[in-house]
Amino acid sequence: MISERKSLVIDESTAGGMIRDGMTIAIGGFINSSHPMVLVRQIIQRGIKNLTVVGAASGGPDLDLLIAAGCIKKLVTTYMGAEHFCPITPFFRTAAQRGELEIFECDEGMFYCALRAAAQGLPSTPWKAGLGTSFPEVNPEIKVYSDPITGEPVLAIPAIVPDLAIIYAAHSDAYGNVQHIGTGFGDRAMWRAAKRTIAQVERVIPNEEVRKNPLATSLYGVDAVLRAPYGAHPFAGPGYYIEDGIHIREFIAAGNAYAKNNDRRPFEEYLQKYILSPKTHEDYLEVVGIRRLVSLHEH
Amino acid sequence: MTSTAASFTTKELMATFISHQVRDGERVAVGAGLHVPRAGILLAHMLRCPNVRLYLAMTFTNLIKEPKMEPFYTTYDIRPTKWAEAYVFHEDFQEKPRFISDTFVVGGLQIDKFGNSNLIGVGKDFKHLTFRGPGAVGTTSMAHYVDRYYLFVQSHDKRIFVDKCDFISTVGWGQGGADSRKKLGIPGGGPVYCITPLCVMDFEEKSKHMRLYSVHPGVTVQQVVENTGFELIIPSNVPETPAPTDEELRTLRERIDLEGMLRK
Repeated sequence: MISERKSLVIDESTAGGMIRDGMTIAIGGFINSSHPMVLVRQIIQRGIKNLTVVGAASGGPDLDLLIAAGCIKKLVTTYMGAEHFCPITPFFRTAAQRGELEIFECDEGMFYCALRAAAQGLPSTPWKAGLGTSFPEVNPEIKVYSDPITGEPVLAIPAIVPDLAIIYAAHSDAYGNVQHIGTGFGDRAMWRAAKRTIAQVERVIPNEEVRKNPLATSLYGVDAVLRAPYGAHPFAGPGYYIEDGIHIREFIAAGNAYAKNNDRRPFEEYLQKYILSPKTHEDYLEVVGIRRLVSLHEH
Repeated sequence: MTSTAASFTTKELMATFISHQVRDGERVAVGAGLHVPRAGILLAHMLRCPNVRLYLAMTFTNLIKEPKMEPFYTTYDIRPTKWAEAYVFHEDFQEKPRFISDTFVVGGLQIDKFGNSNLIGVGKDFKHLTFRGPGAVGTTSMAHYVDRYYLFVQSHDKRIFVDKCDFISTVGWGQGGADSRKKLGIPGGGPVYCITPLCVMDFEEKSKHMRLYSVHPGVTVQQVVENTGFELIIPSNVPETPAPTDEELRTLRERIDLEGMLRK
């Protein structure tokens, strides 16, 4: 007799174990929204190093945290700021100025070209925007060539193939049918490009719920599902909570102490308090506190 | 009826100027973080352009029936999606840039005399920049494909307005000349105006060199020249940037900028 359909739901530690030194990891979301923070904290807790991180287009303080913790060797993103919280994130700025971070400089159009080439198994995607700019100069992986049909100058944006995409979404069933609330930003593009995907979700919902609205299924088949309520905190979890501005400002202030005064102590305190001391996601939520969490309502 | 100079702020003046650049029926991207261009685009929509499609916080919408705009500050905020007529998947940005917007507003750490701009960073060596910028976001691709775009900066000084950008993230008029974009193989109408807290600049038709277009009330031509790091073309007659009308000011204050971000 045929066996039961297999559940893809895994726990935090198993999910963290899928991330290894030196991998290329795509991290979903957008600026201060929808980052899979349980998995981001796992990366730091496990001391994973030398990652090539394909941050969201646009990136945000989630990537700055990984730079601060020394996990990133090479960064692919188009923007490193936090909008009204901070124009340029401090650890990124400092690491870039000191030449400590390899940067795949690109804009959003080029970013999605790289993921699209990966999804389609192509070496590169042609793109016109960027001709006449400094991108081919500051990013030698981007080449200018002549289109063989018309002879027009074109940029070749190389494929970037994530070994693993880690995506935050509102819901998934146990079989990896993921449903975002909101637009899902560029998460689909990461999922299509990556060899494997873990979806970190607020709720694991019954398969029957998915079948009520298949149009809402944004990622039709991921490799693993991690349930983590409030799992995008301190960033927004669309449909559940807005970003925690107080917490984001606390992190940015710690970064500014380093960027402006070379003082890493405030960040070390942040790291200890929120990431290294809490052993699990539930421990983290206890440190943040129930009053803060329930204050982050959307309406 | 025109208002008196004392009764509006420079930000309201800039927003009003930007509002007159929007054309009815087009698609217009509304950045969330830059209050002035956002207010300008919404002002155009409320008063003159009922048929624009606003690209706002990853959605398309039309807001003419909204009596008042609730504040929103970010491109990722879920709350404005209650107005959505459509969701935009962010990768559509690459699938078809012209579906996102017909026009765009671009900022810069540096802007040169031909309207090329830089969000990458300041310094000679990319590996050791003296000031690392936030990155190009989507400006490179949008400015390439849109019908026309506008440069906007929140301060006007010689660090921003330089003879030559250290790095170019968005091409304006390249090395100069009306055919410069064509020569580079790039479409689009390029930058039309550069709007700053001191003045508005445009581009001389043949050379595409930046030229003073108007000065804001209370600002002298000399002040603009002293704060610009390249030789600006100064026409014999430089008018004042047109003041907002009473209706424009009232709409800005009572429907769009309820929190007074433009009055701070």
